[in-house]
Amino acid sequence: MQQQDWNALSDDEFRGIFREWVDANCPSHLRFMRKQRPVFDEVAEWYHALAEKGWLSPVWPQEHGGMGLDAAKHIVYVEEWARLGCPRIPDHGIGLTGPLLIEFGTDEQKANFLPKILSGEHVWCQGYSEPNAGSDLASLRTSAVSDGDDYIVNGQKIWTTLAHCANWILLLVRTTKDDNKRQNGITVMLVDMTTPGVVVRPIANLRGEADFCEVFFENVRVPAKNVVGAVDQGWALAKSVLGHERIFLGAPSRPEYALKRLEMLAEDRGAFDDPAFRSRYARLLLDLNDLGSAFEKFAKILREGGQLGAEVSVLKIFCSELYQRITEETLAVAGEEARYYDDLPVGDNEVDAMNLYLDSRAPTIFGGSNEIQRNILAKAVLRLP
Amino acid sequence: MPLISLDDDDNTLGMLRESANALAERIDGAQVMRSRRAGKSDLDRSVWTAMAEAGWLGLLLPEELGGLQLGSRELVVLCESLGRGLLTEPYVQLAVFSGALLMGADHGANTSALAGGLVDGSRIVTTLWQTERGARAELKATEKDGEVLLNGCAGLVSAAQSASDYLVLAQSDGDSVLVHLPADTGGIGVSLRASVDDAQLGSVDLDGCSVPSGNVLARGHKVETALVRAIETNRLAIAAELAGIASKALEATVDYTRERIQFGKPIASFQAIQHRLVDMWSDAEFACSAVTDATEKLGEPDSAAASQAVLAAKARAGDAAIGITRRAIQLHGAMGFTDECDIGLYMKRAINLNATLGQPEELRLQYLATERAA
Repeated sequence: MQQQDWNALSDDEFRGIFREWVDANCPSHLRFMRKQRPVFDEVAEWYHALAEKGWLSPVWPQEHGGMGLDAAKHIVYVEEWARLGCPRIPDHGIGLTGPLLIEFGTDEQKANFLPKILSGEHVWCQGYSEPNAGSDLASLRTSAVSDGDDYIVNGQKIWTTLAHCANWILLLVRTTKDDNKRQNGITVMLVDMTTPGVVVRPIANLRGEADFCEVFFENVRVPAKNVVGAVDQGWALAKSVLGHERIFLGAPSRPEYALKRLEMLAEDRGAFDDPAFRSRYARLLLDLNDLGSAFEKFAKILREGGQLGAEVSVLKIFCSELYQRITEETLAVAGEEARYYDDLPVGDNEVDAMNLYLDSRAPTIFGGSNEIQRNILAKAVLRLP
Repeated sequence: MPLISLDDDDNTLGMLRESANALAERIDGAQVMRSRRAGKSDLDRSVWTAMAEAGWLGLLLPEELGGLQLGSRELVVLCESLGRGLLTEPYVQLAVFSGALLMGADHGANTSALAGGLVDGSRIVTTLWQTERGARAELKATEKDGEVLLNGCAGLVSAAQSASDYLVLAQSDGDSVLVHLPADTGGIGVSLRASVDDAQLGSVDLDGCSVPSGNVLARGHKVETALVRAIETNRLAIAAELAGIASKALEATVDYTRERIQFGKPIASFQAIQHRLVDMWSDAEFACSAVTDATEKLGEPDSAAASQAVLAAKARAGDAAIGITRRAIQLHGAMGFTDECDIGLYMKRAINLNATLGQPEELRLQYLATERAA
């Protein structure tokens, strides 16, 4: 599909074009879904509509079927997506496998895998964490042993988001044991989940949804041509894919949505008459405002063609903790109604107080727990010993 | 370390920052505070003169009043540097606040003379407009037969003792007036109370002080508009100074905890300390970006959004500076509790600035009220 040079437009021009089409084409029943991570089938029509338009993959270069957006336009894309309440699509192929193959894959891998991501034929998940390798990812033990033209994989992954609706997994495996430096000897491979020996078991989360899974590997045969980059050198690859996208872990859209819900509930239940509530609400409102200012600072670096340093994780920490504080306040306003699991009626509407409260437990844990983020900032930004 | 970051294509901000830092290098702000305290002084003349020589006292004033005619961007960069360098003379109260009132006044000969003296440091011009508790003071101006009689009490006056001239915000027959009152006029009584940041805050009693009617510099709507503007500009300047204090106190604490050895290791190697330092850094980052945001919005046409952003910036920077300096003292251990260690002086300065023109809670509630009224 022939794409235009989006980066030649101003941000506002691009925003207008993108918003108009998305608003007209994203099905209304998929807007503002309460589910954060719908499975592929639930959002397939939206996925295919985007694919057909050529707008599924904002960042991939146009020669590979992406829009080729620079960071500034990508921010617009993500902002409008959130503003219009479009559902998150299973995006590990777009956001993870694709960029990795574009940078490190062989021509054959690119030709084989990239089109199938865009068509939705391959739905990817990310096989990184293990039961004993979470924050300490480099201690992973799922092994891959060379056997002729194949590798034999044994081990277990966990917290694998949407594995139960995926048919391919981007897997980090240990190919060599190096006790001195555990980051050595890790390899990235592309694994067909329909291969015998792969078993997926969904895990119910606190919201009663199964959006992450355990994935077991028992003597799973993976062709050696499915290794990405050099054997034993996968750690650097796995770390490199998160570039400017790290800013989106701190995008204010979740706390913004939650604060609107809090305002609706507070308005309806008369909480704004209470000076103590007003004081707490004002703090949350200002926190959200100032998160916007901080986000803008980093967005500006990207717009001016700069690179983000480790500093950007400050957004993730603040954003995820703010989201929690808002949902905690929402339960406080709910009073005795906080005993209900279901949404709370507010006029003709509903406020999903408990849903948001439970949902907000996750972002301080995923994407590198906030404790790990603080460790990284201590070393990389403050240069502490 | 966190800094206010504004576009600076021609490097004017960079040069301003350099010259401010150079002055801060030359003057030991902490020592100035201690000697000011010992001498019960409300202004250090040598620092003030240095600021005048650098041109900072007329930063915002238009060229016709002898100023540099620069804007908010330059103001925040300068004030951030003052905060970092612990240069604690009442720059915002005299140069910024009184300066803003003069800018809003009728630019007659009297205003020009005052502005000229303010800019070159030959006159110390402070404003009487608040009570001792921070409310709007009820100062009365009675105009009769070509003279103005001033009566009432004002508090929280910076440089009340050192002042050569007062600007008095008074009511005359239900109308606001801005009156120039030379400090040598009869009927003025000044008493001083120590301020937490080692200066003096004055209470000024006006008992039938008489000045010629030509000393009325502005009246009516003009006065109120100038006051609103002066408050907003001052809040922004203070927010910037607080952001500078926050960032510098963090820096000092990082340095100290890297050097301080206990259990055979620098205490900065302990995770409990590291996470606190990261949270302090995060607070300073947010303070700087909030001030940046307010400064940029002041350059845009939407003045309501800019006013909201200034409230947000001062609330954020105040909380950051207070919270960071407090934790900084804890992380300095017993040293942090001594007068000899500068970190406590940063905290004291932060407390004073945070309490000036609205503490964070009050500013946030004002922000909320505006937001909900819209």
